[in-house]
Order: sequence, then structure tokens, then C-alpha cells
Amino acid sequence: MFISLQLLHMSVFSQSFSPCGRFLAAGNNYGEIAVFSLSAALSPDASEASQKPILNFTAHDGPVFSLLSTDTHLLSAGNGEISAWSWAELIKKVRISCSVNDNSLIVGGGDNNIHIMDMETGIFKSVLKGHTDYIHCLCFKEREEEILSGGEDGAVRIWDARTNRPVHCIEVFKYEECARPQFGKWISCLATDSDWMLCGGGPSLSLWHLRSMSPTSVFPLPGCQREAVFYQDLIMSVGEGPHVSHCLHGGTVKAQIPCTPSSLNTLALNLKNSEHRVMTVGGSSHQIDVFTNFSYRAFSLSF
Amino acid sequence: MFHFYHVSKTGSERVNDADICFIQCSVHFITLKKLNRLAHMRLKKGRDQTHEAKQRVDVLHLQLQNLLYEVMHLQKEISKCLEFKSQHEEIELVSEEEFFQEAPAEISRPHVTRDDNHQLTLARLDWELEQRKRLAEQYKMSLARKEKIQKAIEQKREYLSSLQPGLQNIMQASLPVQEYLSMPFEQMQKQAEVARHLPPPLYVLLVQAAAYGQACDKTLSVNISGDVDEAKALSRRPEDSQEDESDSDAEEEQQNTKRRRATVGVQLEDKRKAMLRRHPLSLCVDLKCKDGSVLHLFFYYLMNLNILTVKTKVSTATDLSGAVSAGELLNSESLLNCLYASDHGKETPNPANRYQFDKVGITTFADYVSDLGHPYVWVQKLGGLQFSSDGAQVCLRGSALSASHMEKTMKLLRGRLQARLALHKQFSSLEHSIIPVSSECQHLFPAKVVSGLTRWTMMSYQEFTHVLKAGLVCETDLFFMAVVERGTARLLAAVVLNPRYPEVMPLFSLSLHWKGERSGRTEDNLRAMESEVNVFRAELQGPRPGLQLLTNQIQRLCVCLDVYLETESQVCDGSEGPREFPREKMCLRTARGPSRLKPFKYNHPQGFFSHR
Repeated sequence: MFISLQLLHMSVFSQSFSPCGRFLAAGNNYGEIAVFSLSAALSPDASEASQKPILNFTAHDGPVFSLLSTDTHLLSAGNGEISAWSWAELIKKVRISCSVNDNSLIVGGGDNNIHIMDMETGIFKSVLKGHTDYIHCLCFKEREEEILSGGEDGAVRIWDARTNRPVHCIEVFKYEECARPQFGKWISCLATDSDWMLCGGGPSLSLWHLRSMSPTSVFPLPGCQREAVFYQDLIMSVGEGPHVSHCLHGGTVKAQIPCTPSSLNTLALNLKNSEHRVMTVGGSSHQIDVFTNFSYRAFSLSF
Repeated sequence: MFHFYHVSKTGSERVNDADICFIQCSVHFITLKKLNRLAHMRLKKGRDQTHEAKQRVDVLHLQLQNLLYEVMHLQKEISKCLEFKSQHEEIELVSEEEFFQEAPAEISRPHVTRDDNHQLTLARLDWELEQRKRLAEQYKMSLARKEKIQKAIEQKREYLSSLQPGLQNIMQASLPVQEYLSMPFEQMQKQAEVARHLPPPLYVLLVQAAAYGQACDKTLSVNISGDVDEAKALSRRPEDSQEDESDSDAEEEQQNTKRRRATVGVQLEDKRKAMLRRHPLSLCVDLKCKDGSVLHLFFYYLMNLNILTVKTKVSTATDLSGAVSAGELLNSESLLNCLYASDHGKETPNPANRYQFDKVGITTFADYVSDLGHPYVWVQKLGGLQFSSDGAQVCLRGSALSASHMEKTMKLLRGRLQARLALHKQFSSLEHSIIPVSSECQHLFPAKVVSGLTRWTMMSYQEFTHVLKAGLVCETDLFFMAVVERGTARLLAAVVLNPRYPEVMPLFSLSLHWKGERSGRTEDNLRAMESEVNVFRAELQGPRPGLQLLTNQIQRLCVCLDVYLETESQVCDGSEGPREFPREKMCLRTARGPSRLKPFKYNHPQGFFSHR
């Protein structure tokens, strides 16, 4: 079987599940977005063909670094532009980019600022300045309406969404226990779960208590982590190295599940749909691993 | 009498009475005699009368018989006459209307014949005779004319044949003129003569190649070589010779078994040789390139297998030497491998051969390929032989098939030769650690490239299998190892060169030895370097026909190594010394994306590096 050169050198950078939870959209380094049907892939009579995308289109010039799903639309971010695609149309295998009418969208950009855009009108409402280098990751605390952002400059800044003013700034690399100078100071993943915050990247992946603004546990994972999520009482993270790490809040690494790509860029959990509750990971390979039981890899979807 | 007796008895008494009785007796006797005589005479008369009547009756009877006989005879004659089929009925006579129309009056005599059938038939017969006589005369005249004309033809023929020696002389004398004007008529005629004995596929190939050469490609030339007499012998008695062969084979076999037991192996060997026999004539096609090198292709026809095979030879204007790694490039065994995708030329394309091989115990044709030549599929197509079982294709046969493939194949052949020669030159320079980048491609790379190629060697297939996934390489590819170094860092690149270079890009697989070992399998940045070198064909192939591809790829590899080493963040296990590789390249941003890829793309003419 001849694998084409393109597939050989493909990396998956982002994933997002549809609002109904039955479809997965993945974006790769060639600027393409592929939509996979989870229900077909997970059904008992699934075949090779059901592991291929039902729709594959070129969304951007450069790599698609992030995908986000709202209730009706899929937003994709490429080199300097954000496109919105309607999920309903994508499921019908047609792609039309159209405007959205929802709340606001928070965008972290390469110009070191965070922009908040009103999705209904498409106008930028406000700008949050403060970072000295470009921004890698954003997350949102719903309860307190706070925005957390992590960037290349190594700082995690917490902003108040209502007043758009910075609240806190944590420079993770300054903390001895987390810092890993051999890798650098950049923060590439952030996750928050009410009082807790996970951050990692150059410094080790660490769990912080937000009230006290101090790290409670540091996870001894060898590579740089690129994405981490809270799930029930576990922390799952992916990064350099061909495995998904399951960690406990206490700081121990419970398990490392092997995967196909040699390093992973993105992890997504499909919690919206209880039938297709899966975890999918993608990275430096054209294949996306699907975990039905989070302890082992079930099968792979491929571009 | 009784009385007399009585008397006589009693007679003695009366003698007189005796005399009276005696006279009475004598009178009685005379009367008796007279009566007897009378009776006899009466009898005789009666008999005579009867006799006469009988005779009369006999005569009449005879007459009757005669008449009856005559009647019968006449009846027979009559019936014979009635049955008599006159020959005249077998003659097809013209119909009566035509007869009356055409025949002259004295023959047809209509006033008589209209009434009388007999006369009519006679008249018709006469007319028939008349006509036949006329036609016979005409025939004689035509014969005479024919004789005359024959004679005239003979005369003219003699005249012409007397011209023959004269013409030969003129032809000989005109040879120098032909050469001077470069119109080799004589040569072409001779070739045409020999070409008549070629087997059909070779003939098709000859015609098509010569036509293509004349029309499109002046540098292509076709010659026939081989033993013409053998070919003539083959073609003269194809059926007889086959029968003879089989008979003589049978005889020989019998003799063999009688004399000595020839080993089964030897017999089988002979059968194999007979099956794999080549036709004595072969074609030689020469493709000349601009730089003086020539690709010689020798086409052979295997008669019993009905396939064509080809052998190659390259002759170059300058002596090619020095490049150790280039040994395989111009190897005649593998030069034409995979001219079209997956056309390896190891197995016979004719499915019928399988059965023939089974009979003589040949398991793989590949063993004989080096002897007999490679049976590539494109060779069969050029000879008009179609074996493909692909029914969807348009079924062309013979010349049409050959013509449709000729141009493309010749272009591919020429391209292949040029690519290999270019590679040869490039390899000899690569072995001296110089990457030959032509001036048209200079814009792809920055002015200063510090990393340099230090080694370029060939590798074997076994060493390579662990490096790349099996789906990407196969045995017919060529494998090389390139080592690029800068300072303490060594980059090992395993290169897979497909025989169809430069249509198919060479594949690079990298591993870096610098402060540990990293490879394209494990590290994202090395993987990005691989993709930078492997994927962007349109940029790297340079001016047509794209022969700069490999050298450009290697140069790009050096540039990428430079970028990689210079943008590597200050590592040091704590130590803050001077960097081994100071930052010299201009980069917008040294790391992008979750995998923190380095900027490998070079932008010309601004001269900075950015991400793709």
C-alpha cells in the first residue's frame, strides 16, 4: 500500500466535536479540515471506509491551529483569519462559510493581545493587552467570568471578562519546582476547573490552586505538554512522546497509554453525547486515535 | 379255320371234302391276304393323308411362328426407337423465340418449322451448329492473337533484363552522391529487403520507429542486425519445418533411447532451449542525445513465446568514471526498470507462456532475463502485441497500438538516459563533497550555507528496510546515505531513489546525532525538515526537465540543518557558555505552533526564514 508523501508528513493540530457529538472535525498542517462520522466509526459494522473522513476541504492557507465548536458553527483559525462553518451544512457534506449569531468569541492572537469579538456583528469589542509575546492558549472560567491566557513569554494572565482588566499574572517559570530552563519558559496548555488550574509547556505540567496562586503538584512528565484537560478526577495530558498520560491530582502519573503518532498535539473529549463518549488524540501523523475506553486505543481514523 | 381243322379232323373220312375245303381254304387265304393288303393299303393311305395334313399344319405353324417372331422383333425395335435419347436433346438450344429472331431465314425456314416440330428441331440444331462453327473460328483467332502478344511480351522482358546490369552500374556509381546528399536510398532498400523476413512484431516496431524517427526525431535511427539466411530458412518452410522437426524429434528420441539413455535433464534442457529460441534477426534502435551519448536498444523476438525483449547499452561521449556510488545507475540490467510504473520486466507479460513453461519446467522467467533481455510491457506495446487483460482499454492492435505508444516511450527513454547521466555527474561531484547547484536554482537558497555534505555512499535494500515503512520503498529502488555535518552535529540522511527519477521524488529519512540521537520518527522538527525536503517538488525541481531535483534537495537539507542548529534554544545543562552555533539567519519567529516548529522556509529575495 503506497502512502502518499502528503499523508506521511501530515500533522493534526486541532480537533473539535460537533454540538450533537456525532461528528469530529480535525484540522491539519496543510490547512485542511476533515469531518469524520463518529457514529459510523463506532458502529459494530464499521469498516475501513468508515474511518475515512466524510468531508475533507481546504479551509486556510496555513495550518489550522485551532478549532472550536459553538452550538451551530465550527470556527477554525488559520494564518491570520478565522472562518466559521455551519455544522448543519458540514454534516450534509457541503461547506459554506457564513456568519454566526452567538455570544462573544475570545481570540488570542499572534500580536500579543487578546481580542474579544462579538459574534453576531463580527466587530471586535475589546482588546486585552498585557502579554509581551504571542499567546498560545486561552481558557474561560464560567463561574467567575474570568479569562486565563498563557503565552510565549511564560506568563499566565488572568483577566476579568466584565471589566476587561487584568487581575493576576503568574510567571510560571519563576517557580523553582516547575521551571525547566532546558525547554524554555513558554506556556502551551491551560485548563481550568473552578478553583484549579493546569498549566504546562516549557515548564513541567503543574496543578495550581487559584485562590492561593501557588502550585500544589508538579507532574514528572518528560516532554513538553501541549494540551491537558480535567476529566472526572483525572488529569489527561498529551505532548511530546507517543502516549496519553493519565495523572492524579496528587502529582503521580497513573498511566501512559501508547498511541500511533510520535508526538501529540491535541486531545478532545466528547462529553456532549453519551452514546459516543470517546477521547480522540491527534498529532504528528495522518491518523487520529480514538479511545472508547480511555485506557487503551480502540482504532484510528485517518485523513 | 376251325372248320378246316374240324374238317381235317374229321377229314380223313371225306377226302373230297378236304379238297373242297382246301380250295375253300385257299380262297379264303387269298381273300384274307387281299383283305390284309387292302387293310395295309388303306392304312398307308390314311397315314399319308395324315402326314400331308400334318405337314400343311406344320408349315402354317412355322409361318405363324415366324410372324410372331417378327412381331416381337418389331415391337422391340419400336420400343428401342421410342426410348432412344438423341444426343441432340442434351445440347442446350436457344429458346424458340430467340431462334426465330436470330437465325437467318434459310436455316430457320419458319414456314416449314412452325408447323412441324421435327423440322423445327432440325432447324434449331442447324442453327446451333452454325453458331458453334462461328465461335470456334473466333477462338482460333483469339489464340493466334494471344500468341502474338506473348511473343511481344517476351521480347520486351528480354530488353528490360538487358537493362539490369546497366542500372546496377548506375546505382553503384551513385552511392557517393547519395552519401553526399544524405539520402541513403540504397541502404533503405537493402533494409526493406531484409525487413521482409522479420517476424511481424519486429516489423511493426521497425516501421513505426523509422516513421517516428523521420517525422519527429532526427536523432533516432533503426537498424536490422542478425542472420538473414537463417531467417529466410525459417520463413520458407514454416509448416514443413515444424512437421519435420517433430518427426525428426521423434526419430531422434527413439534413436536416443535405443543407443543410450539420454538423461531427462538434458532432454528437458534442450526443450527449454527450443522454447526460448530467439528469431535470428534483431532490431537495433539508437537514441542520440545532445551531449553525444547514445542509448542503444536491442530488440529480440522470442518465437515460441511470442514476446519481445530488449537489451540496452549506453555509450557516452566522455568517459564516465570516478563515481563509485553511481555504479548502478547505468547498469544495463536495471537502466530501463520501471520506465512506466511497476513495469519491472522480470516476468513474461504473455499469460499463455505460463502453460508452456510448465511443460518444460521453467519456474521463473527471471532466470533467463539476463540472457534473453527484459520483456517490458512497453516493448510489447511498441511491437503491437497486446496482452493486457484490461478490457476497459480501447483494444488497439498492431500498428495502431505501436504508434500510440511510440512517442511517449521514446521521450521517456530519452528522459531516463539524460536523468541517469545527469545523476552520474552529480554523484561524482557529491562524492567530492560538493553539492552542484546550478545558477538557475541559486535563488532557492541563502547565500551562505555553513553545513556541508561530507559523505555520499550507496546502501543496500536490507539496510534500508528498518528505516522507512515498507509501503514506500521496494527492491527496485536505489538507496544512498548522505552525511551532512556542521561542528559537532551530524545529520544522517537515507535517500531512496526511485528508478523513475525525476518523475518520482527521492525520499529522505533523517536522523540527527547531536547531543543525543533524534530521528524524524520521534522529533517533530526533524519531521518538519523531512517534509520540507520531500514534499515541495514544484519549488525544488528547478528548470525543466527537473534534473536538479536531488541536488536541490540536498542543498535545502543543509540549509534546514543550519536553521535547526541556530535556532535551538540555549540548552546547556545549566552552563551559560557561548553558543556553538551563533544565530546568523534572520527568522521572524523561532517557534510556532504546539509542536514548536522551526522556520524552515526560505524567502527570496528578502532572505529571511519563516514558517509555511
